[in-house]
Amino acid sequence: MHFSIHTQDSQPIYKQIVEQVRRWVASGSAQVGEELPSVRQLAQLHAINPMTVSKAYCLLEAEGLLERRRGMGMFVRAGSVLAAPCPADLLRPSLQSAAAHAAQLGWTRAQALELFDECLAAQGLAETAMVHAAVTADAATPRNPDIPTDSPLQP
Amino acid sequence: MNAFLDSLSRPPSLTESSGVETPALECRHLSLSRRQGADFWAQAASWMTKVPILRDLSLELPQGAVMGLVGRNGAGKSSLMRCLLGLTPADQGESRLLGCDSRQLSDPVRERLGYVAQTPDLFGELSGQGHLSMMGRIYAHFDLNYALRLALRLDLPMGTRADKLSMGDQQKLSVVLALAHHPDLLILDEPVSSLDPLARRDFMRELFADADERHPPRSVLISSHLLSDLERVVSHVCFLHQGRVQLVDEWDALLEHLRLVVSAESLPEAGRVNERRCNGQVHTVLDLRHCPNPERHAQGQPLRMDDLFEELNA
Repeated sequence: MHFSIHTQDSQPIYKQIVEQVRRWVASGSAQVGEELPSVRQLAQLHAINPMTVSKAYCLLEAEGLLERRRGMGMFVRAGSVLAAPCPADLLRPSLQSAAAHAAQLGWTRAQALELFDECLAAQGLAETAMVHAAVTADAATPRNPDIPTDSPLQP
Repeated sequence: MNAFLDSLSRPPSLTESSGVETPALECRHLSLSRRQGADFWAQAASWMTKVPILRDLSLELPQGAVMGLVGRNGAGKSSLMRCLLGLTPADQGESRLLGCDSRQLSDPVRERLGYVAQTPDLFGELSGQGHLSMMGRIYAHFDLNYALRLALRLDLPMGTRADKLSMGDQQKLSVVLALAHHPDLLILDEPVSSLDPLARRDFMRELFADADERHPPRSVLISSHLLSDLERVVSHVCFLHQGRVQLVDEWDALLEHLRLVVSAESLPEAGRVNERRCNGQVHTVLDLRHCPNPERHAQGQPLRMDDLFEELNA
C-alpha cells in the first residue's frame, strides 16, 4: 500500500491516511492479512509525526478495517471489505463538490458529465461497467450506514 | 481578545495540575518588557519607558506534543523561548520545564533539554568535531556516534571552523548539538530557516527518529515561518500576536473545524475566532465547534496554516 500525503490539501494528514485505506479496502484490492507499513516507516518516509499515523491506524482499527497484532503491526482484517464504507459513499463528497462548482459555472448536466467522462478516460477507466466483487457484495449485504465522520479521538 | 479566545488560551493554574501528567512545558501569566536601550526598537518607541514583549502569556505543552509557535516578526516567539529556558528572566509570571522552575533549572533537567537559538550560538574557532568533543564532556548522555551519523546525514562538514561555515551549515551544527544527547524536550527557535528543503525534511524526520524507544515521548516547541513544514510535523499550534497567545489548539482540530466565511455584514459573535475587513467585506474565521448552527457555515473555506496566519495577522 502506497500513501500519498499532501499538506496543500485542506484535509488533516491523519484523515488523508484514513480515506486512502478506506478506498483501498472498499475497492477490494486489499488482501486480508496484508501488512501495512509500520507507524515508524510511514512517518519517516513522509517526514510526518508518528502520532498522526497512530491516530489514523487507531481509527481504522475501530472501524474494523485493520487489526493490530501485538508486537507485529497492522494488518488488513478479515471481513474488512464488509466493514468498509460503500464505494459510492467514498466518491460522493468529491462529486458533490464538483457538482457545486459546475453549478457556479452555470453548466448544464450534459456539459459536466462530458467533462467527467473525459477525466475518467484520462485515468484509463474502461467504458463498459465492470461490476467489481466488492460492489456486488455491497448490494447483497447492508453495510454499516453511518460511517463515523468525527474521530472518536477528538474531544 | 474576546472571552472565547481567553478561555482557549488559559490553561489551569500550575498548582491545580496534581494528579495529571506533568506538562513538558508550562507558563502562567508571563510578562516581559524591554527597557529603553540602545537598540533600534527601543529608540523608535523612546516616548515609552518600556516596550512590552510578552503580555500575561499562559501556555501549556502536553508531554509528547510537537507545538508550532507561529507569529509575525516581533510577536515574542524568541523572547518566550528565552524566558522558558531561564535565559531572560520574565518580569512577572512563572514557567516550568519538565516540572522544574525555569529560573532554577537543575542539572538533571538541563540534561534533558535541547535548544537551538535563532542565531547559531557556536564557538567560532572550534570545528564541528571540536564542538562535539566539548559537548561530550559536558553532557552525560552525549551520543557521539549518533551525532556523527546525524552530521553525515545532514551533509555537514565536521572539520571546518564554525566561523568559516555557511549560515545553513552553522544551523545544522546547532541542530546536531541540540539533538545529540537525546533530549526529552526540544526548544527550537527557527532551526531550519537557512536549510534547503531536503535538509529540512531530514531534520523533521530526525525529530521522531527514536520515537519508538522513548519514555516519556519527546516534546517539541518549534518556531518557524516555513508553515508547510510545520503542518507536517506539529500536533499543536500556537499563534502569538503582540506578546499574547491568540489561538492555541491541536492542528488537526483547527484544520477540521475552522472555516473562513466572507460576508457583507459582521456575523454573530458565537464561535468567532477572528474578524477583519478586507476590500469592503468581512472575513470571519469561525470555529464550527462553537457555532450554534455549524451546518450553515460548513461550506466555508477550510484554512491551511498560511491562510489562518494571514487571517489572524493581516
